Order: sequence, then C-alpha cells, then structure tokens
Amino acid sequence: MSIADDIFDRLQKFGLDSIAVSNVKEDSSQVRFSGNSKDIHNHWVEDSTSVFVARGKKTASTIVKDYGILDSSIDQLMFLLDHTPDNESFMGINPEKQDYSSINGARKNDVDIQELASIMIDSATGKGADRSAGLIYNNFAEVTTVTTHNRVQYSTGGTEFLIRAFKGDMTGQEATHTGSGGSDMDSIARSLGEQAAETAMMLDHRKEGKQGKFRILMSPYLIGNIVSYASAYFSYYSVESGFSCFAESMGKKVGNDKLTILDDPSDASGSGFRPVDDEGTVTFSKNLVENGILRSYLHSYSTASRNNTRTTGNAGIIAPMPFQMKMAGGDSSEQEMLASLKEGLYIRNAWYTRFQDDRNGVFSTVPRDGVFYVQDGEIKEAWGGIRISDSIPSVLANIDLISKETWNVKWWEEIFPSTMPYVTVNEVNVSRAF
Amino acid sequence: MNPLFDKAFEYAGKNSKWFEIRYMERETTRAMYRNGQFDGIDNNRESGIAVRLLNDSISSAYFDTTDWDAAKTIIDVAVRKSKFPGKNQIGIGREDRASWKIAQRKGIRDFPLEEKLQILKDMDRIMESEGAPMRINELLDKQMKGQYANSSGSNVSWESGRIQYFYMFGVGTGEEFEQSTGQFGASMGYEYLDEIDLPEIVRNEISVLKKASQAKRPEPGTYDFVIGPEVSGIVAHESCGHPTEYDRIIGREGALAGESFLTGKEFPYRIGSEAVSIIDDPTYPGSYGYYQYDDEGVRARKRYLYRNGMTSEFLHNRESAAILGVDPNGGGRSSSWDMEPLPRMSTTYIEPGNFEVDELFEGIQRGIYMKSFTEWNIDDVRFNEKYVGKEAYLIENGKVTDVLRRPVIETNTINFYSSVDAVANDLQFHAATCGKGDPEQGCDVWLGGPHVRLRGIRIA
Repeated sequence: MSIADDIFDRLQKFGLDSIAVSNVKEDSSQVRFSGNSKDIHNHWVEDSTSVFVARGKKTASTIVKDYGILDSSIDQLMFLLDHTPDNESFMGINPEKQDYSSINGARKNDVDIQELASIMIDSATGKGADRSAGLIYNNFAEVTTVTTHNRVQYSTGGTEFLIRAFKGDMTGQEATHTGSGGSDMDSIARSLGEQAAETAMMLDHRKEGKQGKFRILMSPYLIGNIVSYASAYFSYYSVESGFSCFAESMGKKVGNDKLTILDDPSDASGSGFRPVDDEGTVTFSKNLVENGILRSYLHSYSTASRNNTRTTGNAGIIAPMPFQMKMAGGDSSEQEMLASLKEGLYIRNAWYTRFQDDRNGVFSTVPRDGVFYVQDGEIKEAWGGIRISDSIPSVLANIDLISKETWNVKWWEEIFPSTMPYVTVNEVNVSRAF
Repeated sequence: MNPLFDKAFEYAGKNSKWFEIRYMERETTRAMYRNGQFDGIDNNRESGIAVRLLNDSISSAYFDTTDWDAAKTIIDVAVRKSKFPGKNQIGIGREDRASWKIAQRKGIRDFPLEEKLQILKDMDRIMESEGAPMRINELLDKQMKGQYANSSGSNVSWESGRIQYFYMFGVGTGEEFEQSTGQFGASMGYEYLDEIDLPEIVRNEISVLKKASQAKRPEPGTYDFVIGPEVSGIVAHESCGHPTEYDRIIGREGALAGESFLTGKEFPYRIGSEAVSIIDDPTYPGSYGYYQYDDEGVRARKRYLYRNGMTSEFLHNRESAAILGVDPNGGGRSSSWDMEPLPRMSTTYIEPGNFEVDELFEGIQRGIYMKSFTEWNIDDVRFNEKYVGKEAYLIENGKVTDVLRRPVIETNTINFYSSVDAVANDLQFHAATCGKGDPEQGCDVWLGGPHVRLRGIRIA
C-alpha cells in the first residue's frame, strides 16, 4: 500500500466529508556553475505528503515529511480541524469521477548534467564570453493523489537549463525547460551557451539609458516575466480578495485583439506539466484571455462553485494557481518586429518585478541581459540604468505584433515554466535612475 | 535527534577529504483570515539531513528517508559526484562545540490556538471598521531545532522559534486605490505580540493611506529627503547587505540574483559619506534572523559591512571565505535542511547617529519625508534602485505638512549614500523574508535603521 493510500485510510475513521492526499517522491539533481567552472552538485531525494481535510465548512491541511511521527501529525491535524471556525468560502472538493486514462507516465530524462553544464560553459566561452554562470536541473517525481472521490498515480519529469554570459559590462542570458522525453539535449545546451554569449557581445559597452515612452520589442523572457507575475491575478482567489487587476473584467477587453493567454498544465513538453491538480481534477488547456477578452479565471472546485462555474483544474483547493502559462503565437517574425522599431528598445530580460498597486496592476521591473536602443530597425546602443514602470493592463492593451514562433522559457523564480512569443508593445513607460 | 545522523557522519568520513552533516526539524503552523472570514489553517512538520562532501569538487545530498540503506546509496552518489572536477575550497576556521537555544516566555507550542485565532479576527475587524474593504491577516509560528557536525571537529546543536504576523489591506477604488503590506517577526515566543501594538499600527496606516489616495504626487525636481527607519532598513538590506555577500562579488549568483557593483573593485572602496556605517549582526537579541552559530557551525558575530562611508567586511559562508582566504564569519545560512548554506544577511541596519529626529527636518526648505515604502526594486549588481513612498509628506521650511502620494526615489547606491548628511539616533527594525539561491531560499531577516537625511535627491 502506498503512503498516500495509508494516510487516506487512517483519515477515514474521523468522519470527514473531504480528504485529498498527495504523496510526491522526488529525485532531482542540479549542477551549478560560475566563473566557467562548477560550484556544486546537489542531489535531493525527498518524500512528502500533503493532506487536506474538511468536515462541513471546517478545513485544515498539513504536509507530512516525517512519517515517524505520522500519528501525531494526524492527531494535530484533527485538533486544528475541530478547534477552528468554519471556512465559509469552502464549497467542497471536486466530486466528479475523473478519467485518468490519457495520462502518460513520464520518465526521468537520461541526461548527464555534468556534461551538459560543460557544453554550455564551453559554448559561451567559444563564442567569446569572458565567463558564464548558470545551472542545470534534472527533475523526476512520482505522485500519488487519493481523494474522497478519485485516485491516480502519475509521474512528471523535466530538465531545465540556465546560462548567463558576461563580456565586460555586457551580459546575455538564456534559459529553457523541457518535459520528460526531451531530446537533443546537447544541442540545446550548445545553442543556449552560444546565444547568451552572442547577446553579451552584441555591443562592447553600455550607456546610461533615457526615460520616456518607448515601443519595445520584448523577448519571450521579458514578456514571460511580466506574464508570470501577472498570472496570480487570474486566480479567482486574488480576484475575490480584491487584489487583482482583472477583477470585474470578465467578458471585457483586457488586451489587444491579437492577444490570447492560456494556462496549459497538460502540455508534457514543458517542465510545468501537471496532469492532475491538488484535488484530483484532470488538468487541461484553457484560454484565460481570448482575442483580448477575459474569458476565464483560474478555479478549484470550491472557487468555481462560488462563482457559478466549473473548475478549471487549477486547485490549490483554497487558492487556485497557474501551472504553465502560454501566450499564443501571432503572425510576425522576430526580424520584422525588430525592423518595425522606428525608435524603440529591444529588451531581452528583466528581474525584480514588484507591484505598488495590485488592483490596477501598477509595477516596475528592471531590464537586464540585453537592453538595446534601436533606430530604424537597427541596434544602435546598449543601455543600463533604466526600468519599465508601467501597469499590466497598459502593457496588455498596447501589445502590437506577436511572433509566429514561441519558446519554452523558465528562469529561477522570475519566470514560471511557460511558452512565450516575442511581442512589441507600444507606449511603454521607461524611467531611469538619477 | 535523527538516528541516522551519527551513521551518516561515520559513513561520509570514509569517502571524503572534508565533510559536514546537518540535521534540522521544523514545525510550522499558519492561520489566516481574509475579508472577514477564517481562511484556513495548516500545520507542517518536516525533518531531514544534508550531507556536504569535499573531494575534487563540492557535492551535497539532501534526504528525509529513515532507511539507512537508502541513505547510504544517496551518500554514495554524492561521493561519486564530489570526484567530478569543480571548485573545491572550503574554509575551515576554528573548531566549535556549542549548544544554543532561544528562550520563550509564551511558548510557541503552548500558546492557545483560540488566542491565535482571536488575534487574527480582531485585526480583521479593526481593518474593516477603519475602512479597509480588502484585507488579509496571517499568523505564522515556527519551532525548529537542529544539529551540525563536521570533520574538522565542530559540533553545534540548537533550538529556536519564530513568530511572524503578516497583513495586507487595500483602501479606495479605481485610480484612488492604495494598498499596504506589513510583516512583523521576531525570534522568541508569543510574547512578541505583546511588544508591538498591531492595532495602532494598522489604524495609523489606514488613516494615512486614505489621505494618500486623495493626495497629490510631488512635482518633479530636486528635494532634500528624510527617510524613516523602514526605508533606511530596506536600503541597508538591498544596497549594502546584498552587494557585500561575497559569493555575489565572485560571481556565484551571477545567473540568478546577480553579481555586485563591488565586483572587481579595490577594497576598501568608498560607497558614500562618512555618516554612513552599516552593520549585519545575527546576534541582535530577539531579531527575526537571530542565531548564535550559522548553518555551517560557525560562530556568529556583529560585522561592519560599510564603515564611515567605506566598505569594511564581507558576508561569508565557508566556501566564499576560502576563496578570499579569510576565516568564515558566520554568514552561512540555509532556509531549510534541504538547501545549501549561502552567504546571507540576518539583521542588517544603518548604525544610528547622534541627531534627534526633529533635527533632521530643521533647515529643509523644500523636501519630502518618506516614512515607509511600497514597491521597490534594484538591479542585479545592487546599484540602480527604486523606492516608492507609502506614507509620505511634504516638508516645507522645516515642518512636515501635506500628505504626498507615492513619491519615488530612483537613484543609485553611490548617489544615495553620498547624499546622506545626517543620521538620527532612533534605531528601529522591521521583519522581511530575503530571497536568494536556486532553489529559492527565503531567509527570515530584520531590516533596520534610524531616520536619515539625504540632500539633493532628484525625482522625475
């Protein structure tokens, strides 16, 4: 009997209305490198089980990692359940019988991450970079989810690459993710190393940038960063709490007509692949913004019930969450988009995105790893010292061209596993430090 | 402690030039109220072992299994990886054998659940009655203990507890919406909540934000600024603490949080006026990031990071200290047993000066008092930074006058510290969670400072 089944069985005697138990057995490896050599090899072998229980409107949850104290953990969970007020917003977990037959088991990618790291480092220096830093993950997890209504076992896996190349005060960064079964990993590593170096060597030094309103060609990393940070605003939990710029916008225009944003956890080609959510619902692709119109929030069964709709398979039972965001490709090429900049900026990446006003989505983010001033479609200068200081509604409304091709991007905590195109955005407010 | 700790210690020693074993167990309880309703509670318990080995390179394994055969296999893999080429320096420093524990007057494990829930409910009601329709209140406590041992002879055991209160609320609608988040934390028992007047703090904030939502933004121009302790604390953290983490200076965080504007400089390096000294002190009593020995078994101590406008000491873990050729100085922290220790801050603060707070405002003809902040960010070398005022006022002829809406300081580290001409004597601290590393590690810290006066800050 699996640990998830064991815990589920132990909980049954407590007269609960809802139980959701999810056990994750994880085996992940990482290599980190900097200054062209490896810093550390990390290896995690962990086994943890999340448990959610409800009786009527009462809810409580725990994560069990120490099975030696399982009985006392369950006792504490029941104590909390019995001694806390009703959670009036809780409406149950998904009771519908799920069909898991289409879920294909993932396997651990058979890769040598030591070698892949060496390929990335050598590729960057081979193209002329002074040095590089980065990491590679190879992840694998076996998951067993048992709820009051469903039971499923599946596995997920993936590989993530990151390299940042340095040349003088110039930098270039590339990062991607693949799901289980990703192939031609050597080529991916080589290509990322070379591309990072090429960006770092595009010009030989940076100038202080200028403030103003600019048309910006945003790489998949930059728009991926902005969409990642905005993705929580699609959660009905944020909407209901009053901290979402998409509140009161259902069915209304929130972006350019060409803009379609979706969450697709069912796409196994990315490391954000998540075939089943926290309450056992089979996940699926759903358009959140379709041709500029807000069509859906992210829901669990409970939040969907409060909103008179169906779950989108994005539990978090209490707080739904995005799993793998995508922006649909358009009809432009990257070259056409660069050529469309009469006077504008081409920005490859950004970090430290922070909001001063969630209700209106007002934020700023700091561009890095390729910030270029463009005139008549030609890159003229590399800039530093600027930030994008704007709002999510304004950026989405001012998206203009969208590239045909999309890329799997994922970087640290700044870009969630996602698939993004290049976009041009008009009238973006750029501020600078004095 | 964990029964595998001694076995892992003995086994790892057979196959490595140097090694360490780190065990930690932690229990957290978190309860939340949201917009007038109880929003759930969770209780999480975990424990595990980290083994770090040094041979031709550095290799770490993290496991929570209690099966010794499985643990041996995991250690074997780590040994094999430590024989791949890579960096292989670890700072040994002095050997320490110690045990430390934080006293709790209102013990975390004994504090009644009913009282926790009542605190949350009361705060939610206060926010509602003061006119905040959007509100989240969260109370978190952590009880932790651990043991560290290495092949150099260090052996440290410890026990600690932390309390954290977090809130977020919003007032107003549409373009007049304003929001605030507050984070309060300390390393002690629930007596901490007796030491802070959360209701009064929230009442004041809501009152000010309502005024701010109706207030004017400042005209572009050049102003003298007085910043409050919350702002001086975040500045100390972002533009002193982070750039003096030595792993950043040597590029180890290069692809993540970045490097440092101090990379490649000759030290000591001038960062600003002589009025500026900044300290990091893990041993500050009661502080949220308090520890007596770091997660690498190194004794903690107070360190001057900037002193009289010059760089002074850097934050080190064993690895970065070895690269610089100095002894580790107690900055190696990991947020959990399954994370690698990195050079981290604990309690980072601008050292108080001799001025009374009122004196800072005297002589300012046209200025801005930025008491607290909302949005902020900084570039990856910790040079180009932005702080948006939350509670802010105009200063006219030495007097604090009208409320201002979201004034913005957007400057760089050298300009900021060079513009400091007076530092007050009213040191205060605020809690925060500092992020770094991959996997991301959120470390509990205090940010601190007194009121500080800046001359000639240009705002757009």
